[in-house]
Parts: sequence; structure tokens; C-alpha cells
Amino acid sequence: MRTGAAEGHAGYFHAAVRYASDDELLAVTVPFLLGGVEAGEPTFVSFGERTAALVRSALPRDSGVRFLTAGDVYARPAAAIRSYRRLLTEQTAAGAGQIRIIGEVPVTSNTWDWWARYESAINHAYDDFPLWSMCAYDARITPEPVLADVARTHPRYALPGGTHADSPTYTEPRVYLSEAHPPVPDPLQSRPATVELADPTPGQARHAVHAADRGQLPAADVEGLVVAVSETVTNALRYGAPPVCLRVWSGADRIVVTVTDQGPGPKDPYAGLLPALDSAAGGRGLWITHQSCNHVAACAGDDGWTIRMIAGNTHVA
Amino acid sequence: MMGMSGTIGADVCQPYRHACLTYEDPAEFQSAARDFLGAGLAAGEQVWYLAPEAPHGWDITPRIVTLGDQYPEDSVIDPAAGLAAYAQATEQALAEGYTGLRVAADVTTLLRTPAQVDAFARYEIQVDRYVRTHPFSALCAFDRVRMGDEAADQLACVHPVSDAPFRLFTPHAGRGDAALAGEIDETTRALFLQALDRAALRPGGDELVLDGHDLAFIDHNSLLHLDAHARALGTTAVLRTAVPAAARLAGLLELTSLRVETAR
Repeated sequence: MRTGAAEGHAGYFHAAVRYASDDELLAVTVPFLLGGVEAGEPTFVSFGERTAALVRSALPRDSGVRFLTAGDVYARPAAAIRSYRRLLTEQTAAGAGQIRIIGEVPVTSNTWDWWARYESAINHAYDDFPLWSMCAYDARITPEPVLADVARTHPRYALPGGTHADSPTYTEPRVYLSEAHPPVPDPLQSRPATVELADPTPGQARHAVHAADRGQLPAADVEGLVVAVSETVTNALRYGAPPVCLRVWSGADRIVVTVTDQGPGPKDPYAGLLPALDSAAGGRGLWITHQSCNHVAACAGDDGWTIRMIAGNTHVA
Repeated sequence: MMGMSGTIGADVCQPYRHACLTYEDPAEFQSAARDFLGAGLAAGEQVWYLAPEAPHGWDITPRIVTLGDQYPEDSVIDPAAGLAAYAQATEQALAEGYTGLRVAADVTTLLRTPAQVDAFARYEIQVDRYVRTHPFSALCAFDRVRMGDEAADQLACVHPVSDAPFRLFTPHAGRGDAALAGEIDETTRALFLQALDRAALRPGGDELVLDGHDLAFIDHNSLLHLDAHARALGTTAVLRTAVPAAARLAGLLELTSLRVETAR
């Protein structure tokens, strides 16, 4: 049994909140949350510190709304999908007729591309749950290209007063995710690579990453990158086309790695964000790669299909 | 390089005493066998030399054993019978007052068919179990040029000490049912699965305990295979490893028959 604007909707009811003031955010958020609690629906907020405090102060004491830490939930898109799907599975197994969530994903120009892919992919990834969720974007500080992606990845906008407006530029995830979304070049990439290897074995690629580690990153970040690069080179050897080129840039606070092969890249538009059911296509390796780095992006270019992975700081100009 | 310790990074004091040398130049075997058997003589062991070519220029005198007297020349080896022969020889050496038996053997010329290599790899796995608990040690040499890399790798990877990129062998007492060392990934997986099959592992207790103390890397596909292998055996496997990513990968893969414990 579903309530509110999602009443009668099958699957995921996904809306964006584009607000220009705190009052506008609260005018949408508070009724959404309290309506969920009133209907007996599990109701969650995954906001950053400032907006979470704002919403908390606008809710009655012991409102029944549950707060998740956005920094944990939205560390990596593939991990967010995994943890949300787990949460949704638990809640529906416990008998929830609808689950309500409002969240805000990180909006920084360097990593927005993979959060845009997240916003698109979840239209599919959460569609087997009775989920009504809203994704909040502060129009005062969100860059225009990001807002354009928000419009293309959300079927509708939630408006004050409990109404909704369709997003005219909404694009089916399979279409959106199949488009080229080249990542913002990392400044390190404008320099010659620290290491460049032609047709490396996975072992040689792992060694190259270890060699680029000069102690500038936590060991767990380096290990994550080693796993990611190993899986990516393995996929390139198995499913890509030679030659395979590995490039490693070692910076003061990060390591950037690209793997380029001459194949067309994965066919599955959700590859990386969702665990592939068919391991034969290499999708599980790409999903593990997305779980293991601070940023992953893939794009076809003049020199082939390139996957770029970053460990360490991704917030560089 | 061909020391018999093979315990770099391990917290065990005793050496594994079962090494494999895959050589391209026969002189490498001559030199390694000389050092290996010389150390045995110094320790009061009986030492045997088995190879088509006699030792030359040595300052020690091992017992020269004809290959055909210890191994079948035109058939596949029976692993149990092959091991029994060395077990008996070890007992004999002890009875004669030696502290043990030490053998340097190059059996390349006897392994001409895939079936012979397969049986010999299974035999090596049985020998390795015996070595861990008896005063027997062996240096097994194979001519890479003559037998080819694939066959040489199949044999090298079932020795605790070898140049194989990954190894499956018997750990020291109390450390589990099998040990995995080196790197297991796309390039070594076929070898790994073949060795796993040949080892015919069985849990010594409630679970199949895999000592991954000297494991440097294992990729997600290999973890999935280990998980499936344990499931097929009707048991749960535990991999104890210092590879930090292994436990995280196992968690992501939601394995049901393999548990990864991070050991330091």
C-alpha cells in the first residue's frame, strides 16, 4: 500500500528537489518526511551536516524520521547502490508498503560524472522496491551543467505543496548511461605519466601501482587501487582488444591510473554501478573497481576505450 | 636463490625442505644439487643423486641412483607407490644411523606425456605432505627447455619452494590443510585450479583451513573458485591471509562457503 504522491505507482518514484532557499527545501522535505512517518512508512534522511541539522531542527522532537550519515552512504556510487538495496530489501522483507528517503549526493565538479551516472542508474536499480525518494540540490551553489544532468536523470521534480512536475529532459537510464560522459581531466594527466606499460600482465600492473605509492596515501587506498587496476587490466586482456596501455601518475596526494584498450568497452550500460549477473562479461570486475577507488570513469576516445581510476584526493582544480 | 628455507616473510623457523628447480641450463641443477646434498652430508643425512647426467667436478660423493630404479620409465607413476618407496628408503637410512634421507632428482626425461606429468604432480603433492613430518627432503629439478613451460609450471607450483608465481603446498603442522603462496590471478588461475584439483584437499577439522600467510595477491575470480570448491566438498573454507583486500573482496562477493580472515 503506497501513500502520498507515489500512491498507485509501481516501483521506484524518483524525484529531484531543486531549491533556492532553505525555506524552500524545508517546504518540500518536512511534509514528505512527516507524511511517511504518519503512514507508518520507514522514512530516512541522508543529508550532509548542514542540511541534516536544518531538517532536524524543523522536525518535532522524536519525529520517527531516521537520519543516515551522507558521508558514509555516498562515499562511492556503487557502494551507495549496494547499501541502499540492502536497506530496501530489509525494509520490504519487514513488511514496509513504501519506504521514503531524501538524500543529497556530493556535488563537486571532479566527481559529479559518476554521481550523475548513479542518479540515472538508480531509476533501474531501485525499481524493484516500493521506494519514494527525493534528491535535493541547492540551486544557489550547484553548477548549471550539474543541474542539467539532474533534469535528465530524474523523471520529476518535487515542489512545495506536495505537487510534482515532470522533468521535460528526463532520459531513460539505458540511453543516458550509453552516452559519452568524459571525466574532468586530472591536472596530473597533463604531465608525462610516471610509469607507462604496454600490454602489462595484471601482476605487472599491480607492481606499477605499488611502485607509485610513495607513502602519500593510506595503505587501504593503495590496496583498493591495486585491486581496481588488477581487475581492469584483467578485463582488458580478457574482453578488450590489444594493445593495452597502462599509465600511472603519482601525485602528492593521489595516484591516477588509466587503462586503455582497443575494444569497444562494456555493452551493459550499468556496468560498474551494479554487480553484473553475468560474470562472463567482466562486469563483476568493473563493479569491484567502482567499489575500490575514490573515482572511476570510463570513456571512448581517439586512442581506444579508457578507464581512469583515482586513489586519494579527487577534489583538485 | 635456491635456498631451502622458502620461508621469507613467514613466522616459522623450520624450512620446508621440498624445493623445485626448473632450469634452462643443466649446470644450474648441478650447482644447486651440489649445495643441497652437501648440506645434507654435513647434517649426517644419507644423500642420493638421481639424474641422467652424473655429477661432475663435485667435492662430495652422493649415492648415485639410477632413475629407472626409483621411478617407472615407460608408464605413469603411482603416487602412493612412489611415495612408499621413499618412505621405506628414509626408514632404511635412519636404521643405518643417518639422520634422514636427502634426494636431488632430475626426472625430466621420464615425463614425456601429459598423463605422466599429471601423475607426477599428484605424486609431488603426496611427497610434500610426507616431507613436512618426516626426515626426508628433496630437490626436484625439471628441464624447462625440454619439457616446456606449461608442464614445468604445473610441477613447480606444487612445491613450497620454487620459482612458480603461485604455490599450493602442505603447511607446517597446525597451520591448516593447505598453504597458498604467491599471486593468484588471471594468469595463474588455470594452474591454481589444476593444482587444487590434484591436491584433493579434505578438511582436517570442521573447516578446510587454507594458510595464506605467504599469499601476496588473490583476485576476485579466484576467491569465487575457492568458494565453489569448498561448496563442492560440502565444507566451509577459511583463508587466513595478510592480503588486506582479500577479506574486503570476500565481503563484496557475499561468499557462502569461503571465509577470509585477515592474519598479520
